[in-house]
Amino acid sequence: MTRADTPAVEITALTKSFPSRAGTVQAVRGIDLTVARGEVVAVLGPNGAGKTTTLDVVLGLTAPTSGEVRVLGRSPREAVRTGRVSAVLQTGGLLRDLTVRETVELIASTYAVHAPVEDVVRRANLTGVSSRKVSKCSGGEQQRLRFALALLPDPELLILDEPTAGMDVSARRAFWDAMHAEAAAGRTVLFATHYLEEADSFASRIVLVADGRVAADGPTDVIRGQALGRTVAARLDLDAVDTAATALRSLVSVREVRVDHDRLTVTTSDSDAVARVLLTELGARDLEVTTGSLEAAFVALTSAPEGAAA
Amino acid sequence: MTTTTSTSPDRVGDDDPTSTPDLGTTGGEPRTRGERTAYVRLELRRTLRDLVTMFFVVGLPAFMYVLFGASAGYSQESAGNGNVALYVMISMAAYGAVTATVGIGGMAAVERMQGWGRQLGLTPLGDGTYVATKAVVALVVATLPILVVYVLGVLTGAEGTAVAWLGSAAVLVVGAVMFALYGLIFGLAFRSEAAVTAASGSLVVLGFLGNIFFPLSGFLLDVARFTPLYGYVSLARYPLTEGYVIDTEGGLVREALWMSVANVAVWTTIFAVLATWLVRRSRGRQ
Repeated sequence: MTRADTPAVEITALTKSFPSRAGTVQAVRGIDLTVARGEVVAVLGPNGAGKTTTLDVVLGLTAPTSGEVRVLGRSPREAVRTGRVSAVLQTGGLLRDLTVRETVELIASTYAVHAPVEDVVRRANLTGVSSRKVSKCSGGEQQRLRFALALLPDPELLILDEPTAGMDVSARRAFWDAMHAEAAAGRTVLFATHYLEEADSFASRIVLVADGRVAADGPTDVIRGQALGRTVAARLDLDAVDTAATALRSLVSVREVRVDHDRLTVTTSDSDAVARVLLTELGARDLEVTTGSLEAAFVALTSAPEGAAA
Repeated sequence: MTTTTSTSPDRVGDDDPTSTPDLGTTGGEPRTRGERTAYVRLELRRTLRDLVTMFFVVGLPAFMYVLFGASAGYSQESAGNGNVALYVMISMAAYGAVTATVGIGGMAAVERMQGWGRQLGLTPLGDGTYVATKAVVALVVATLPILVVYVLGVLTGAEGTAVAWLGSAAVLVVGAVMFALYGLIFGLAFRSEAAVTAASGSLVVLGFLGNIFFPLSGFLLDVARFTPLYGYVSLARYPLTEGYVIDTEGGLVREALWMSVANVAVWTTIFAVLATWLVRRSRGRQ
């Protein structure tokens, strides 16, 4: 069947720019991405990397400046209209004076057919608060409500934009538990996050986005291996620096060696080995090992000079 | 891709959340038909629950009718095809009706821009259906103050011919919709709930100029004829007064029907053009 073969998402040479007071802002500068059906893919990147804009285009909420986007073989709006794709948005406003259950009923009424209201309320773990006003719900509960709304059309593709932003740790865990059940049912899930841990524990594939472009794309364990490295820095005699750098680059565990005058900075997945070589064979001094915090490693990996502070 | 085979009946509209059927962890098939009227029903429930708004829409006009209409000494005096009580009754019902539609139009703009529009953008709901839904809600809510004030009128001695009663009510209901555009303009232009409150507040001024609260005369009346509420109210009163206007001194001035019609037509056009322009502007900013 050809229909089943079409990818869940197919983005080709996507660019998007916005007019602003300070001139044109290029939010997306050329993204190519194909997500196969049944995949769980994390789009990981700092704030301002173009994640939300890309997902907005996939959902038909904004038109691309150039490039093409197909969702389950059709245009984004058509995919949304037929209930094949739905989403949990970071900033999707809810009506504060409706109750949780009324909100679900209201959105349900826009679909020709939908999953039973009871059912999605329970799957999003909202049964206990279903008669609570949205204005009285915590951030986590509001996010689970958006999740319930996304389940209504029984979508093949679920898109989540920073779904756990503003949640505490336990709410975040509960959210991902609910999400696991949906992914296990065979839904394709594409989600944006700037938490490396979330991408790591939930996705089978990570797409790193920085500065409006794809910086890395691969299976989660490969990307994690690259990101979880440590940094070893040391000082050497000036005339020995270049030879030492060459020697270190030949080590399998070394990902990057940077030379700054008489100082070497080595990014590696095996800091012990690098430290040993530096101290015993290369005559290094002032050695420092920094555990790449996930965030720092991530920043290094996306190597975005600005806007990477997130 | 889903595995459950629940046969539990659909219970949309049931407020009891405790009786969940025991389903598997994954979901059900989308087998429930979307309830077409649910959006209107929930929007209505939501509006009627807002007691502050409902006070201004229904309570205040009813109170003002009793004060200036029913209990006033001149209430039984003749005014065309009815009495003065009926005249005041139409005025107050008009004020309540436009307060309702301005609020609904304004809040529609604000809630769309505050993110609800994005949420709706994830559903099959088209712009046309959304506008139609809001228009129905506006019509129904605008009917409430008309109904309440008219019933009060029946009970407190407002009198008139059947044409005066029914004709005025019909004009009030239909004409109120143009003020949904007025609220929409404020909501789109200033993007805040405060702007919608301001729009409703401005109705007091327009109400005075519309000859609603107090009979105008002379220069003020000449100016007032060009304001939006004036055309609406004078058109609603036409079945009663046939164009005669009571001025401050108690004298009668006759106005041609075409003046009211032209007022309503011109203002509806102005509102529609402004609202369309503002909608385009807000789209371009996204």
